[in-house]
Amino acid sequence: MLDSAVDAIIVIDHRGHIEQFNLAAERIFGYRAAEVVGRNVNVLMPAPYHAEHDGYLDRYQSTGEARIIGIGREVRACRKDGTEFPCDLAVGKVQGAVPPRFIGFIRDITQRKLADERLRRSESELRLAQGLANLGNYVVHLDRSEPDYYSAQLCRILGIGATNDNVPLTALLQRWVHPGDREKLDEAFADLNSDKAECDVEYRVVLDDGSTRHLHHVAQVAHDANGNLLKHVGTIHDVTDRRQTEDEARQLQDRLTHFSRLSTMGEMAAGLAHEINQPLSAIATYAQACQRFVRSPTRDDADVLEALEQINAQALRAGEVIRRLRNFVKNREVKREPVECNRLLDDLRTLAETDARLHNVRLRIDAEPGLPTVSADPIQLQQVILNLVRNAIDAMAECPESRREVLLSTRRLPEGEIEFVVADHGSGLAPEAAEHLFNPFFTTKSGGTGLGLAISRSIVRAHGGRLWHTPNAGTGARFHFTLPAASASKGE
Amino acid sequence: MIKEIKPTVFVVDDDAAVRDSLRMLLKSVGLPVEVFESGQEFLDADRDDRPGCLVLDIRMPGMSGLELQVKLNERHSILPIIFITGHGDVPMAVEAMQAGAVDFIQKPFRDQDLLDRINQALEKDAGSRRMLAERNMIRKRLESLTPREKEVLDLVVAGKANKVIAGDLNLSQRTVEIHRARVMEKMEAHSLAHLVRMVLEVERAEE
Repeated sequence: MLDSAVDAIIVIDHRGHIEQFNLAAERIFGYRAAEVVGRNVNVLMPAPYHAEHDGYLDRYQSTGEARIIGIGREVRACRKDGTEFPCDLAVGKVQGAVPPRFIGFIRDITQRKLADERLRRSESELRLAQGLANLGNYVVHLDRSEPDYYSAQLCRILGIGATNDNVPLTALLQRWVHPGDREKLDEAFADLNSDKAECDVEYRVVLDDGSTRHLHHVAQVAHDANGNLLKHVGTIHDVTDRRQTEDEARQLQDRLTHFSRLSTMGEMAAGLAHEINQPLSAIATYAQACQRFVRSPTRDDADVLEALEQINAQALRAGEVIRRLRNFVKNREVKREPVECNRLLDDLRTLAETDARLHNVRLRIDAEPGLPTVSADPIQLQQVILNLVRNAIDAMAECPESRREVLLSTRRLPEGEIEFVVADHGSGLAPEAAEHLFNPFFTTKSGGTGLGLAISRSIVRAHGGRLWHTPNAGTGARFHFTLPAASASKGE
Repeated sequence: MIKEIKPTVFVVDDDAAVRDSLRMLLKSVGLPVEVFESGQEFLDADRDDRPGCLVLDIRMPGMSGLELQVKLNERHSILPIIFITGHGDVPMAVEAMQAGAVDFIQKPFRDQDLLDRINQALEKDAGSRRMLAERNMIRKRLESLTPREKEVLDLVVAGKANKVIAGDLNLSQRTVEIHRARVMEKMEAHSLAHLVRMVLEVERAEE
């Protein structure tokens, strides 16, 4: 019966001498039973137990105080070949035996210890990785069958204790969420509790210490076999540093873009002054004509009314120029909205024509009708086009007036993109200039900042498009840029 | 003097409002006005030999005001030009004045300033036209002279006495006197000085 057992079973007498040694013991210790029966059981023990075991036995028999009997513990044992291994040891006293006998059950736990060690190491590596990534995870048991689990890094990120069980995590986050992101978070949690059963959301929280953190929160719901909600499993990634870096980079880019717009405007200032001076001049003249009509003995009220109507219209015209100008130079947040390409051309026509007129350049617009909308920041797109038109005008400063024409065209490309082309008849681009064209601070103009094309290209790229140039047929240069049509990217 | 056609103010400006406001201003003071939106439109209308003056925007797309001025000079138009300039157009205005413009005025302007300039231009135009008409009249009279009378005239104007002329042309002094009287009569000259002035006037114009 002993030999059929999986655990090693060893029976010793009151002096510690081995009386029985089963098959499993032979396998575990590497001794044949015949080799060890009658020997002190301490041969199976490494130091210090090896020397102390006799003392344990004496003490038990004299005091009756059980240190191991009926208790069991994890100990180390020694094989015949001298190697040690961890084992679980349980010891019992054989009932009614005189003198007493003891029976030991020994289970080799080498594999379990290895697995434990691996688990421990993997947990510590996970903790380390979470620390490095600033990412925490959690499990919320909805059925309350177990306490919620928050990883150490999660607690560090949120500044909470691991046993923060009195307030649920979702309630904490909803309390801390930044007012601007509250709706987003509520929506995400609604998703989590809906059939979607997952959420992936980024939001800001203001923690109890007053600091603002950007969290990227991904969570899923786990169900049991019957489809009942079991638990939320999620990770919370602290992306504050990355967001702050991105914010700073974006602010810098915005400032640069704004600066470049101002500089474009500066170059266009004379033209704009002209554009505002035109309606003002007309208003003055109409008003003076009006005074004369009124004073005239043969006055015709129709003339007076007509002049007044025109004064009104021209004042509005001047206001419109100023409004467009203000919109263009205003330092503002970048935002995407559906933009009709040809509508955009209409809006910038005044600004572009103003500049063209001043330099005796004809501006021709050739827009393909019925173009799809693009998702874009309209002011930034105007900036790109105006910058290209300005460059085209400058490129033709030395041209005879008959050739001074800028063609601004739009068309639909087969790949679902819209192409804008600004073509001039200037002297074209020298190869060495063409090479550095898009480098910041590269300029061929005496008063240029060298930022226009670099910024234009970064704007177009941010809109998912490309900006490049080709030689114009005959003379001059053509600058092209593309934007993806909004309808094509709408398939969400 | 040409009396049958009233002088007209021609306005060429590409800006519809500026153009129309000028039309109304001139209408309010009772001046005949015609407006054109481009230099080409004005050239095509063949108004450049009419009495009047031209109020011309210096800055226009396509044909600029300066280019129209060059084309009118090529067509020997005597129409006085008042340029309308924006601020910062001084170098262009200087160029325009060198090419013969009578004046320029900067936008926006006081109506009286423009009207004064227009009146000056119209006076100048009337003067030029009177002078032209006189020259044409003198030319017609000159054309009515016979070749012999023409020879006598040239020598008279050169300050030669009848006797010298008779010698030069191998004529009797009496014959020269008859030709000379015919010349004075055909040229409607009141005096020798008047005759000389008329001939010099035409010669100067033809240089």
